[in-house]
Amino acid sequence: MQKKMAYSFPDEVLEHVFSFIQSVKDRNAVSTVCKSWYEIERWCRRKVFIGNCYAVSPRMVINRFPEVRSIELKGKPHFADFNLVPDGWGGYVLPWIVEMAGAYPWLEEIRLKRMVVTDESLELIAKSFKNFKVLVLFSCEGFSTDGLAAIASGCKSLRELDLRESEVDDLSGHWLTHFPETCTSLVSLNISCLGSDEVSFSALERLVGRCPNLRSLRLNRAVTLDKIANILRSAPQLVDFGTGNYAAELRPDVLSNLVGAFSSCKELKSLSGFWDVVPAYLPALYSVCSRLTSLNLSYATIQSPEIIKLVSHCPSLQHLLVLDYIEDSGLEALASSCKDLQELRVFPSDPFGAELNVSLTEQGLVAVSLGCPKLQSVLYFCRRMTNAALVTIAQNCPNFTRFRLCIIEPKTADYLTLEPLDVGFGAIVEHCKDLKRLSLSGLLTDRVFEYIGTYAKKLEMLSVAFAGDSDLGLHHVLSGCESLRKLEIRDCPFGDKALLANAAKLETMRSLWMSSCTVSFGACKLLGQKMPRLNVEVIDEADPPDSRPESCPVDKLYVYRSVSGPRFDMPPFVWTMDEERKILH
Amino acid sequence: MPNMEFQLGLALPTPNIIMGFDLNNHGLDHLKDIGGFSGKSKRSFEQAFGKFKQECKTKTLLLWSGQPNEEEDQKDQKKTTFSTIDENDAEEVDQVVGWPPIKTWRKKMFQQQHRVCRIENNRVAGKDNGRSIYVKVKMEGVAITRKVDLRLYHSYQTLTNSLITVFAKDKKCADDDYTRYILTYQDKEGDWLIAGDIPWQNFIRSVQRLKIVRNWS
Repeated sequence: MQKKMAYSFPDEVLEHVFSFIQSVKDRNAVSTVCKSWYEIERWCRRKVFIGNCYAVSPRMVINRFPEVRSIELKGKPHFADFNLVPDGWGGYVLPWIVEMAGAYPWLEEIRLKRMVVTDESLELIAKSFKNFKVLVLFSCEGFSTDGLAAIASGCKSLRELDLRESEVDDLSGHWLTHFPETCTSLVSLNISCLGSDEVSFSALERLVGRCPNLRSLRLNRAVTLDKIANILRSAPQLVDFGTGNYAAELRPDVLSNLVGAFSSCKELKSLSGFWDVVPAYLPALYSVCSRLTSLNLSYATIQSPEIIKLVSHCPSLQHLLVLDYIEDSGLEALASSCKDLQELRVFPSDPFGAELNVSLTEQGLVAVSLGCPKLQSVLYFCRRMTNAALVTIAQNCPNFTRFRLCIIEPKTADYLTLEPLDVGFGAIVEHCKDLKRLSLSGLLTDRVFEYIGTYAKKLEMLSVAFAGDSDLGLHHVLSGCESLRKLEIRDCPFGDKALLANAAKLETMRSLWMSSCTVSFGACKLLGQKMPRLNVEVIDEADPPDSRPESCPVDKLYVYRSVSGPRFDMPPFVWTMDEERKILH
Repeated sequence: MPNMEFQLGLALPTPNIIMGFDLNNHGLDHLKDIGGFSGKSKRSFEQAFGKFKQECKTKTLLLWSGQPNEEEDQKDQKKTTFSTIDENDAEEVDQVVGWPPIKTWRKKMFQQQHRVCRIENNRVAGKDNGRSIYVKVKMEGVAITRKVDLRLYHSYQTLTNSLITVFAKDKKCADDDYTRYILTYQDKEGDWLIAGDIPWQNFIRSVQRLKIVRNWS
């Protein structure tokens, strides 16, 4: 019933009010207040975020939001990063571009994550959107430098081109020359993922030189150290810079040139790159270090003493990515120098080695937790851990929002007590009341999941591997974690009972991934049949799941909610369990 | 349903409905039991679970250091293949697919860097005295003895990585899946010691021969 009250706001006023509401979550909330707010909101919605490209169809989005200027889409499940999702699974962006080309001629921004992007898609983008400004391809694949050339030449007001961590087919190094001389609008350019020969350096230099608003520039490995100085001098306004190769024979003139170039960049706050670092060139950075808030040394094979020297020059550091060469001693130095540290990521330098090659243990993380009160986000690869250390860390850092611990050897127990690490992770979820993301590792029983279900009320994403004893573990999580959106599990003894008992929970989540668990084909069929708003996908590269008895476990299961029904772009090794008991293929 | 036209807003079922919705008995009957997980239903759920223990079907990890191995599921044999590392090869050694969870492009970087390291060590070694250090390597249970040039490696783990590769070709995988091995060596005084205790540089100067033995402890 729509009763126009005498004192109700005209639509334009409401629209104006809504324009101050930018966050997607808030917008969604606004739209559910009443029918008229829904209508007004949908006409003035400019930004859409779609966390799973198969949860809704392009046509549905366009029908509801006719005036979108910015879209963000995510495709493959997170475990695709670790080769668990076979090639060809899906996540194609072309259907979206095709529909949007007609419906959104004024589209300005496309941000994609883990999607398959083709040159055809890129060419269509370049052709269809006259005011196109921002293209971010995060962990995408399927396109080549030809597609990039089309973007460069076709998008006259391009501001951002960010290819972070994407896989690009190198066909020609000259795509950069396709940026016309009239292009002066670039603000951000990230080509760090490109392979050796994919950059025409002179074109790059000219491009950088004519874009006075360039704030972020991340070069690829092919760019040698001697070229950095010139680039920096032509873009002293840079805030974020990624070097290429940082290695060269030590020459005093090159070094002093570099020192001068870095010190001319008064706004520089973030550094990355540093492939093949020659430590002698690190002092060139010292002038920047005092302002540095973000430092990514995770490609740099420098040893602990050099890392310590560098890091102790950076008192304002908030984000550090580094290899485990930093060792416990380096982390202790970090803890005493960088009191503003918010995020720490320590990657393993030799993840497949059988032996310890560096002295990085739980002690390093404990030191940082003690010395850095603002620490919120941790990704830590190590080879040993104790419950005591985890409890200490939890008590030191109740403000954790992201805690991802990877003990490299699966099912590693507390090395002092030989017990499971249940109590340690339990302390993390108990003390860190705002924890949004958690990754577990080590020896873990159902008990840890009981703790998680009891305490982790704000947890949105949980990653589990080689853990648990029984379905009870999964049940604790599904029934206890109220905010859970994404759950990914591999190699755990979780099966049908917990899944079926919590079927309705799955509709409140974005997705569930289970691989190498013990969920039977029969249970998948039942789930698909009874839950029409879930897509239940079974992935099996070896045999069709119905070639075996129903009680046989499926290899991989991916369940996600969707309002657009099963998808029809599945490869031969993916089956969707349909409500009419059909197995779609 | 009131939210039909709000196509992008999947209505959240109320917590009560979630709790009571159990598909284990093809589900819909249990909607009557809406009331959340009261003590009563929790007990019955645990009853159903009490004797329900599932076997852990995790992958075997062939290990050199002393970690316990699990029963290998025969069907999953393909997942625990060795990829051989040739000194010149770009293949990765994946003992378990996707573990540790490191993005593919990072893994490629590590391999490149380790290869560079090896090449550089060769160059460095060349400058030192130019001579290779060949020692015999015998593995318990394998008839054929091999020889390796210790100058090609710069650490214990690069040596053991290579030995895994070399011997994996020689022995049948199916036989010794859960056995643990230790690398031992004979020093200049003729004593047999466990490799790894002394720094690498000292090791290569004193090692006479290598033996890979089964660890029964």
